[in-house]
Amino acid sequence: MSTNITIQLNGVARTLRAEPGESLRAVLRAAGCFSVRYGSDSGETGAAAVLLDGRLVSADVVLAMQTDGHEVTTLESMNQHELHPIQVAFLAVGAFQGGYSAGAMILGTKALLDRDPDPSEGEIRDMLSGILDRESAYLKPVEAVKRAAAVLRGEATEPFRPEIVAPMTDGRTAVDVDPSDVGPDVSPAVPRLILSKDVPEMTIVGKPELKVDGVKLVRGNPAFTDDIDLRGMLHAKVLRSPHAHARIVDIDDGEALALPGVHAVIHHRNVPRILHATGGQSWPNPLPYDQVSFDSKVRHVGDRVAAVAAETPEIAEAALKLIKVSYEVLPFILDEREAMLPGAPMIHDEVDAVGIGDASRNLVVHLGGDTFGSDVDAEWANADHVFEHTFRVHQVQQCPIEPHITIAWLDEDERLVVRTATQVPFHVRRMLAPVVGLPVRRIRVVKPRIGGGFGAKQEMAIEDIPSHLALMTRRPVKLELSRQEEFESSRTRHPQTITYRTGVMNDGTLHVQEMRVIGNTGAYGTHGYTVQNVTGLRGLSSYNAKHKRFHCDVVYTNIPVPGAYRGYGAPQAEFALESHMEDIALQMGWDPMEFKRKNWVKVGDRLDIVTRLGERGESLDLPWDQLPMVMTSGIEECVAQGKRAIGWHRRTDPAWIAPADRPNIRRGIGFAFCMHGSAIPFVDMGGCSMKINDDGSFNLAAGAADLGTGADTVMSQIAAEVLGVPLEDIIAYTGDTDHTPFDVGAYASSTTYISGMAVKKAADELRWKIKKRAARMLGVDQPCEIELHDRRCWAADGRSVSLEDVALDTLHTVDQEQLTGTGSHFSEDCPPPFAAQFVEAEVDVDTGQVTVIKMVMAVDCGVAINPITASGQVEGGMVQALGYAHCEEFAFDADGAMSNPSFGPYKIYRADEMPDLEVYLVQTMEDSGPFGAKAVAEIPKDGVAPALRAAILNATGVAINHLPFTPERVWSALHGHAMRDQPYVG
Amino acid sequence: MAQVLGYHRPTDLEEALELLAQTTLHPILLAGGTAASASGDAPVTAVDLQALGLDEISTDGDRLRVGAMVRLQDLVDHPQVPSLLRDLARRELPSTLRSLATVGGTIGAGTWESELLAGLLAFEAIATVRSVGAEIEVPVSDVLLGDRAVLEGGIVTEISFSLDGNAAAARTGRTPADTPIVAVVGRRLPDGQMRIAMTGVAATPVMVDDASTVQPPADFRGSSEYRRALAIALSARVHAQLGA
Repeated sequence: MSTNITIQLNGVARTLRAEPGESLRAVLRAAGCFSVRYGSDSGETGAAAVLLDGRLVSADVVLAMQTDGHEVTTLESMNQHELHPIQVAFLAVGAFQGGYSAGAMILGTKALLDRDPDPSEGEIRDMLSGILDRESAYLKPVEAVKRAAAVLRGEATEPFRPEIVAPMTDGRTAVDVDPSDVGPDVSPAVPRLILSKDVPEMTIVGKPELKVDGVKLVRGNPAFTDDIDLRGMLHAKVLRSPHAHARIVDIDDGEALALPGVHAVIHHRNVPRILHATGGQSWPNPLPYDQVSFDSKVRHVGDRVAAVAAETPEIAEAALKLIKVSYEVLPFILDEREAMLPGAPMIHDEVDAVGIGDASRNLVVHLGGDTFGSDVDAEWANADHVFEHTFRVHQVQQCPIEPHITIAWLDEDERLVVRTATQVPFHVRRMLAPVVGLPVRRIRVVKPRIGGGFGAKQEMAIEDIPSHLALMTRRPVKLELSRQEEFESSRTRHPQTITYRTGVMNDGTLHVQEMRVIGNTGAYGTHGYTVQNVTGLRGLSSYNAKHKRFHCDVVYTNIPVPGAYRGYGAPQAEFALESHMEDIALQMGWDPMEFKRKNWVKVGDRLDIVTRLGERGESLDLPWDQLPMVMTSGIEECVAQGKRAIGWHRRTDPAWIAPADRPNIRRGIGFAFCMHGSAIPFVDMGGCSMKINDDGSFNLAAGAADLGTGADTVMSQIAAEVLGVPLEDIIAYTGDTDHTPFDVGAYASSTTYISGMAVKKAADELRWKIKKRAARMLGVDQPCEIELHDRRCWAADGRSVSLEDVALDTLHTVDQEQLTGTGSHFSEDCPPPFAAQFVEAEVDVDTGQVTVIKMVMAVDCGVAINPITASGQVEGGMVQALGYAHCEEFAFDADGAMSNPSFGPYKIYRADEMPDLEVYLVQTMEDSGPFGAKAVAEIPKDGVAPALRAAILNATGVAINHLPFTPERVWSALHGHAMRDQPYVG
Repeated sequence: MAQVLGYHRPTDLEEALELLAQTTLHPILLAGGTAASASGDAPVTAVDLQALGLDEISTDGDRLRVGAMVRLQDLVDHPQVPSLLRDLARRELPSTLRSLATVGGTIGAGTWESELLAGLLAFEAIATVRSVGAEIEVPVSDVLLGDRAVLEGGIVTEISFSLDGNAAAARTGRTPADTPIVAVVGRRLPDGQMRIAMTGVAATPVMVDDASTVQPPADFRGSSEYRRALAIALSARVHAQLGA
């Protein structure tokens, strides 16, 4: 029974209704405090942090009733006409990306600074320890708190901008690094920028502009999917399988339907069986089509059984308990190496699935088998040395702090509107249509602000459920996953077993290289085919070898479903490849970096694998001289800057490796060469349209999806540069299938390179129309003589008209017309960004505990359109990659259920335990990209694991081929114990 | 969050004990709420102890008395709390949960991985348990080791612990702030006696005389064999730090 509680909410006495078990978070959100956001029920994410009597607390675990008579403060209390200095500081340093938890961080900062105007960094990090951030690596939030403290103390601050660092190389040639040279002495939050002479001076591009979407985030404005409340909205909950593999013998929803407040119960008996694939990819979606909304069989713990729509979440939960399900429990498998063994249970025995390679052997598809260039089998004999190593990589989760959430309803025209946290709004619309039985034109998908995706939301993971329920009930329906559901039922990274075999000549030249992979796609195929293809692409791209081969079996198991995860198969491949190369070098007596350098791809090299493997799927047989060529590479500058920053010379000093005063500690430094791609060639396409407004500002509409990546800012900077206006004159709107042009979505490091070029083309077209109009207004014969800058159109003789003048002329005065520009971009190129990743670590040889001391990444991403957002991408990506290498892993109980589906047991890094970080951005001028840009989003995921392995190897002499480097695994390797190399089941 | 069907905020201990005695309500004590949030989905009635005034810290000779409703963050901030215990309280939970969780709730939860509880064992913590018509003092070690019946129908109102001696801790985790797989907390008393407590080697934090004798349970972070090896290695370090 609900009760009135009275609290001082943001300084005002408020009486609110609360149920006894209702959380403070729920009551505050109902009261309009949208800055208090859901991350988990047990409060570890801190996204719902508020001040309770001045203390920063997680409102998830506080009953609203507990706060009766107390003072509660949310971010909304700081929202005056002008931004608070703390909000300004967070904006100024680009302290957030998705901004889902920005409100909590800002509020925590206020509480901290109210208590101590000059906190230490340790105190700042301790405050932030309760607010998990999957995006920023905490560097810039810490910097923002320091900056805010300084401002509030009345101290002057400098604009936050990159530190320009002198180049150490000529751009192509390796150099020795002087051990006494220590590099720039600036805050680690400041990106170090190494400029290229090839890049022209620009006004907006390349500058540390503030995020265009920043204000709404620092104010906690209602911007995310959950931040609307529709009249009559129902709440959906999903009944999940308790079994890893079982057949549903019977299901009885009678009692659930009879529960007052329940409006619908759906399951395999009342939802049409439409086979499809859920991976958010271009048409036609890759095979297999092995999923339906609800099946009569469950294939992993957490798989869908039924769903309920009810008046409240509590009623929906209660109804789930009333659904009676009888199961025939079947044997299950978790390890991909067991999937094709005789006697393994057949996971997809349905007769109507489309495109499964060999369901009787759990084989989704066999990839490769191709020989690139010549007869690989024959070439082993021509190599002077042959090396083979096997690696195993594990299952991890993307862990966006905002879980999957979708709200679906019928609009006034009875079209289905799907407001959803997705990276791929256009793919979702097209893929959802047949599943719910509507034509595409009857569906509108809207992507609001997203609180992180990292690939997990490149999937139609949940959108069909609330859509079915909305169509059935004709009421708005919301479905939000719990944190446990997010782990067990959304998407993860593919575990793989990878074997490399490489033939090397006596001079260190690679001659032949083969990569064999068993890829574990879990219960469903979804991205299984393409992720494994990219594993082959990335695993065979970085180093030149005359002869290459890729073999891969993609198999079903009963683990929660892997899918797209930032890097998309590359982190697995690059861990194995770099480790393999490291081990070959050491066995042949080479310095590992020199051995890699001898063989890594350089400017002018052909990328012979790009047309054969990758997300595109189909192989293109192009003649050698038409194969994509590496046109730019800043790797040598990256290596030089990184070596200096990490203190590379120490790794050969025995006294440093084994410090005399710490007998149980060994220290090491590792390096990894990283190479990625920029979008999917021949596939990715993005569109943009622009128009001029009365005041000379511009609307920019693009189908791209900003997940917190800064895409809206980057696209706006590109448009502003073209049109000669400040950033504030560009109004970006993205990711709405009704109101923006098509875009494949945010994945594959494509947004800046593809969508950004579409923006540039649209802006170029619009600029030309503006020039023609201005030329006429100024009496200039040749429009090409008109220049656009400073919001004006300039003739060569110095006369000018403002863009506002042009807009008023064209919209209201003479030969009226709406000046617009449209552009779309598709690329056959895929210019690789390059990076040098360094990791310094300590190993406790008695316990196996690995402590990462410092990570440095120097990245050639072409021209960073915005060095602040680009460095934020690198910082956040590196720390996600560190979790992959060091501490994150799925573990299972004896029934095949995940035994650690919450933060804490599933460990992600928090602010008070971070290693030191430094990011270097090395410019190159990539002519195929917008203003010279290449991609930056995914390459930070590639190098940490192999570099950490190399650091452990440098420290201890022990090579470990199985991720992650948790204490027992390292201890086992050091002390000769048998190592567990399969998923933990206990 | 537990399925809370009722909420009470008693204003004195007697009222709280009466509520606790009404078993048909399925009462649970609500201190900070962080443990209650993890207590499953069975229907319960919350008995919120916030109005009982159990939130004082005071000295009593050579011992410190800490009210059961004292927040872990208050332990971190209190200058009279031994520095090692302050550090262990800080490590127990991140900021947004530490500001809610209480000393009493930590004892009630009895988590096997709690470094703070191990610290309290090393510092000879004694819990005061109030029940209808009685008040007893019982070592926290006894409460954790299985004498949890003393908590049935009763409320931990405060704890006290020694302030003397030197203390040290060692731990192994996946990351620096991770909940340790095994942690060892030691205290060397003025008379030279050593008290060693450990986490991660039994169902609750325990006092251990001989690390080689522990029989730890296993989970995905550590096998029994590995945990025993950690107990031995970390125990030796703590002994060395304390000059034993």
